[in-house]
Amino acid sequence: MRKHLSLIISVILLFSLSSVQGQHQLGNSRISGDFGFNGMYYMPDSLIGAEKVDSKVRANAFINLLYSNGGFSAGVRYEYYQFPLIDFEKIQYQGQGVRYFFADYKNKFIQVTAGNFYEQFGNGLALRAYEDRQLGVDNSLLGARVKVTPYKGITIKGVWGIERLNFESYLGRRDFVRGLDGEVSLGELIPKMQEKGFTANIGASFVSKFEKADEAINATLYPGTDSTCNGEIPADKIPQNTPIWATRLSFGYKGFRLDGEYAQKMQDPNVSNDFIYKKGDALFLSATYSMKGFGVAASFIRSDNMDFRSQRMVRQNTWLCINNIPAINRQYSYQLISNYSFASQPNSQIGAQLQINYKIPKKTKLGGKYGTDLTFNYSRFHNTDQQPVALATELGTVRGTEGYTSSFFKFGPDLLYQDVGLEISHRFTKAWKWILAYNYITYNLEILQGHNGMMRGHLVASDLQYKVTPKHALRLELQHLYTKDDEGSHIYGMLEYSISPKWFISVGDDWNYGNPDPTHRLHYFNISGAFVWNTTRIALNFGKTKEGILCIGGVCRAVPASYGVGLSITTSF
Amino acid sequence: MKKILFFAFLMVASVTLFAQETLEKDKHYAKLPAIDIQTLDGQIFNTSNIQNDGKPIIISLWATWCKPCIAELTAIADEYEDWVEETGVKLYAISIDDAKTSARVAPFVNGRGWEYTVLLDVNSDFKRAMNVNDVPYLCILNGNGEIVWQHTSYAPGGEEEVFEIIKKMVGK
Repeated sequence: MRKHLSLIISVILLFSLSSVQGQHQLGNSRISGDFGFNGMYYMPDSLIGAEKVDSKVRANAFINLLYSNGGFSAGVRYEYYQFPLIDFEKIQYQGQGVRYFFADYKNKFIQVTAGNFYEQFGNGLALRAYEDRQLGVDNSLLGARVKVTPYKGITIKGVWGIERLNFESYLGRRDFVRGLDGEVSLGELIPKMQEKGFTANIGASFVSKFEKADEAINATLYPGTDSTCNGEIPADKIPQNTPIWATRLSFGYKGFRLDGEYAQKMQDPNVSNDFIYKKGDALFLSATYSMKGFGVAASFIRSDNMDFRSQRMVRQNTWLCINNIPAINRQYSYQLISNYSFASQPNSQIGAQLQINYKIPKKTKLGGKYGTDLTFNYSRFHNTDQQPVALATELGTVRGTEGYTSSFFKFGPDLLYQDVGLEISHRFTKAWKWILAYNYITYNLEILQGHNGMMRGHLVASDLQYKVTPKHALRLELQHLYTKDDEGSHIYGMLEYSISPKWFISVGDDWNYGNPDPTHRLHYFNISGAFVWNTTRIALNFGKTKEGILCIGGVCRAVPASYGVGLSITTSF
Repeated sequence: MKKILFFAFLMVASVTLFAQETLEKDKHYAKLPAIDIQTLDGQIFNTSNIQNDGKPIIISLWATWCKPCIAELTAIADEYEDWVEETGVKLYAISIDDAKTSARVAPFVNGRGWEYTVLLDVNSDFKRAMNVNDVPYLCILNGNGEIVWQHTSYAPGGEEEVFEIIKKMVGK
């Protein structure tokens, strides 16, 4: 009970202090902040597999404070995840304390940051320190960063830092990351170019990871894909420094834009690549064209052996990831396919994505009074081609060798993910609005989730909105996923009533009516209400969550089944 | 020990904030933080350059994967022409899409025919500096570039309140 009490008190205190509304500005100095609380009371439910948990009341809470005065700013975040939500406990995002604080000074020429910072070079192929609070991802670096703009259009950044790992201590760490990045905007350097409507940027990065290697690795402790192991990798055979370099180019003219980045990683034997010595590489290309009412975007990605972390023995979740290989497929928020979201595969993926947006103009037969928005999408991803090298075949293991060779543009034998979709969005009158979508999804359960086979499913989703009065609205979401694979078909319905801008109330149910096991044809209902007042949002919900995965932007984590009452509060001040 | 530290932290934080509050009698509104983000062409753009010749400004933080954000910006787009005509307001739609989807922001915006000024905050630096937890987030700046109103999440019809505030601001 004591721990519950301290949790409850902390929350009340945090909230009361953060509910001090308004801006806090005195002369040039300003204090601002934000606060978040996400709590749940868990109840067991053996049918859906929600287990009895040791602490029934759990919560994630944090508060951010920022101070700024002219070019100077400083910030601190306190996190309280001592008894976190069970999905955060699963990824060991558990603990409490200050794991983010910084001081920063900047003027027109230079910016210096000391403490924790987030940073991204180019598209993130070589370095991306970022956070996603919902997923429990926080890869901030603790150290220093300098950013210099010696001449308009030229930016140079240098970073040094130790990467954050959940609530683990930084003391005694034997690894760090350093990096350098430069970018030149030709458009800004050569005014004539810009006058004619051209823009072009070139950039290059160099990032290097250091990790002490003074002990041999007993590879047998890390069973990989290959069960026959050849024992130890001696310390002097393990590189202490692993560099990665990347170069990028972008070019724009009127509605056209081209972007490209290529990165290469030097020898990095680690537990995720089965301790091979092959270099890794990644290529990211994107071409877009748009004009009013029409847009098309095509992109391509290939990454091979590009899992790059601060510690070679870590492969779980996104722990200690230094870079981020983007998953370029279209991101959906449909409830029924959230379990079949593609997650980026830095060690082996090649694929492309195409999206076309078109607006049937207003005041035409098909467009109606307000026009109709169409979005078409296609994407397909495979693993990369990998042919074991002769030496690896001879030894019966890949460890300590080059591992495999790969033909660069060849698609590997396994389809990872494919998605074809069309979305139509139309407003009929001031009161009625409708979004209708269809998707055909193919998802490799074996490679992406470790289950058997492929999931092939048709999804139809409808979102109908009716404004009862200018501020009162009803919204009905209906979705149907038809599939014979995995857990079979689902149907989902959700009705929401909102009074703008303050109140939301909704009821929903996800029914797994097509489960091959009749005893698992279950309902996952949810009732929720929310109150919003300026930047404060308080939401209460009661219901069941299906076991599955939660993905945001191609990064996923497991979500255990749960049943209970949740309360979430966020505010900024 | 940890608990004591935790409460000490809370005390300090609350004292700081309440002290701030009492001194706040003659209210100064906050200005936007000056953060480097990007234009759709990939050029660096500092948020201190967000301006509209002394007329009101709307800033919306959104993403191509955020359904309520798109609903909000679509609803405003239907009325935007009238809003600009009546009040001279300008909307900056700042996308927090990252490298995965940021290249698709321009085709998406143009494809929908939105007339907003669109900027990219690819590593959420501006979002963090604004203390924004979730999108959609919308704020209104007065002619002096001061944040006079903020709101998070979107319910159909929410755009009406935004327009009311802007009309009041320009004296209509």
